[in-house]
Amino acid sequence: MCALDHLCQSLSETLDLGHHTLLQTIRKRIISPKSGNDVSIDSLARKVQESLSLSKRHKFWETQPVGQFKDLGNASLPEGPIEPPTPLTEVKQEPYNLPSPYEWTTCDLDSEDMCSEVYLLLTNNYVEDDENMFRFNYSKEFLRWALHPPGYYKSWHIGVRVKTSKKLVAFITGVPAKIRARDTIVVMAEINFLCVHKKLRSKRLAPVMIKEVTRRVHLENIWQAAYTAGVVLPTPVSTCQYWHRSLNPKKLIDVGFSRLGARMTMSRTIKLYKLPDQTVTPGFRKMEPHDVPAVTRLLRDYLKQFVVAPDFDENDVEHWLLSKEGVVDSYLVESPESHEITDFCSFYTLPSSILGNQNYSTLKAAYSYYNVSTKTPWIQLMNDALIVAKKKDFDVFNALDVMHNETFLKELKFGPGDGQLHYYLYNYRIKHVLRPSELGLVLL
Amino acid sequence: MADWQQYLQSIIFGLIFSFFLAKLFSIIFAFRDENLRITRADSSEAEEKSSPEEADIIGVSEDTEPLIQRNDGGLKGSSVSGGEDSDDDWEGVESTELDEAFSAATAFVAATAADRSHKVSNEVQLQLYGLYKIATEGPCTAPQPSALKMTARAKWQAWQKLGAMPPEEAMEKYLDIVTELFPSWLDGSANKKKGEESSGAHNADTRGPMGPVFSTFISEEDSENELKLDEIHAFAREGDDENLLKCIESGVPVDVKDSEGRAPLHWAVDRGHLNITKLLLSRNADVNAKDLEGQTALHYAAVCERPDIAEFLVKHGADVEIKDNEGDCPRDVCELHWPWLQQATVHN
Repeated sequence: MCALDHLCQSLSETLDLGHHTLLQTIRKRIISPKSGNDVSIDSLARKVQESLSLSKRHKFWETQPVGQFKDLGNASLPEGPIEPPTPLTEVKQEPYNLPSPYEWTTCDLDSEDMCSEVYLLLTNNYVEDDENMFRFNYSKEFLRWALHPPGYYKSWHIGVRVKTSKKLVAFITGVPAKIRARDTIVVMAEINFLCVHKKLRSKRLAPVMIKEVTRRVHLENIWQAAYTAGVVLPTPVSTCQYWHRSLNPKKLIDVGFSRLGARMTMSRTIKLYKLPDQTVTPGFRKMEPHDVPAVTRLLRDYLKQFVVAPDFDENDVEHWLLSKEGVVDSYLVESPESHEITDFCSFYTLPSSILGNQNYSTLKAAYSYYNVSTKTPWIQLMNDALIVAKKKDFDVFNALDVMHNETFLKELKFGPGDGQLHYYLYNYRIKHVLRPSELGLVLL
Repeated sequence: MADWQQYLQSIIFGLIFSFFLAKLFSIIFAFRDENLRITRADSSEAEEKSSPEEADIIGVSEDTEPLIQRNDGGLKGSSVSGGEDSDDDWEGVESTELDEAFSAATAFVAATAADRSHKVSNEVQLQLYGLYKIATEGPCTAPQPSALKMTARAKWQAWQKLGAMPPEEAMEKYLDIVTELFPSWLDGSANKKKGEESSGAHNADTRGPMGPVFSTFISEEDSENELKLDEIHAFAREGDDENLLKCIESGVPVDVKDSEGRAPLHWAVDRGHLNITKLLLSRNADVNAKDLEGQTALHYAAVCERPDIAEFLVKHGADVEIKDNEGDCPRDVCELHWPWLQQATVHN
């Protein structure tokens, strides 16, 4: 079934189709246990036909140094940068032109006012689910954490204002990261938080914002980038799927995050997802500042096995993985005998606004971040992570099927989500589309 | 005798009149239904149904970019130039009402074009096409197509003859025509929005071109669960008091069990229907009926954290000390501390 999915993916991508819908339909079928086997060639062909008629060109991305659909499976193209760096003097010195009512601004998140402006823009206009029931509500602390890693560039936090009113109407960011692709470590920009005010969606600001952030990244002599998207663009390095573990099933059902089947009782559902009050692994505790060297070693060693993964040093681990209240939580297992750090798990806090529900306004979600198991079995380790997340009052624990996550998802009662996350690299070619389990990278 | 005839006459007239009234209503409703159907139709379906020719002539599906993006041209043109009309916060930013109405109308026309039951004359279609082109692209500068290409030429002429009409005027005229053809088109547009957004073509709008994804559970069908339940359980589950009452009155036992041993009362409490709980108890449902796991409705209320129902059950004789097969009484399966579950312990 996996092969079929893969076939379908490459098929649709090579043909440059409206793959998103296609993939989703097919994946849904494959996942659904009952209808899993009925993906006949006929229906596949029909889907491809339909998608062909909806064929969509990526006018913008076709002009960018990214893997193109037509090159998929072309083994003669080398891995690595698609374009060589241009001399810095040739990088455009002035910002790109915006439509005349708007102007560029650089957003200093250290300023409380600026941070609030960015927060409000995102809270009201950032990513929603397909049915517009939820919208991400990244906290201000989270934004500061996400945008101020070691060596960050202020100039990469870019806003767009209306000239007359000075209202902030669009935002895009980059942060530097060392990312390893097979044996090569490349300094890249992680591009994120692209958000255009809802009332400006039709003005095609996104392409110029992407170009502007790219220009500013180039000015720092950095030529590669990593980003994710829910839509298929040319061309995903990997396509991952979200899984969800209910911690507070009643609320999730009440707000429409999950549905209660007609033959299922709420009572049984609640019992199904019940977790013990205490973690079970001896030596399971919060990560402390003095654990940074040990965790760095553990993590570096673990991430080696993935084709694309961050290259964390101690500064990175201190920034990204040391617990920050309401932002990121990290736990580890310290062997009671040897006091060695053997296992590690972490998750970040990303609440969402619940749109139009009378009883609840916020969905509190934990997102699996980086996890390492060497001694504690995966299932036990992550079950302990669920237990602490539940105690911290999270409603749901989300995880992508990246790294070794597939080894525990089903067992720990995660259910598949409707969201797919495609990973992309800018100006860097990876020869083959990676399986999620070959990917060691989590972007926020 | 004459009286009798007069009566008959007025009855006949009355019947005829009401027949026409009914007919009128049915036409109105049929039209509304039709609209709803159109607007709910998935866009891919819509595209499939309409012949390319027909849709194209109305100027909606020349290329397959989502409509919202197609409307760009029109919005951009006027909103950039329209900076001087107000000092509102959104000056030069927000699209004007006309822009919005126009894009709603084009979306409506696109959906309608997909449905062949609405016959729109060629002439009007060409008129709409011309106005659409003016509103979105401005005056026609394209070279005249060859005389052999009949449709292309007709379209070109429709566009060209409007000369340098301002886009705003074109939008207004477009709206006038649509409103004349389909006086009720705006009624459907609220539904349309919803339908469009959930269709695949517009995922890009909510999901954004880049960034994270908000994922929710795939709604799974009831798998492997071989539960068998009766109508009455379903009515209790859905909170359908009317049908539930009918069931009871037609002689269905009020405590009939499903294949898991649950009575309708279990289902009502599970889904949090206090009114159904009251109804069932007023019909002498057994408040302490157990399911196959030995749990009563009060256990369900405790697990599902339904305080109002639990309190009501206790007041109506639910046994707070009753144990399920695992030896837990309702208090033991409740995460919260409810006085009405505790008090009884004090009494005992």
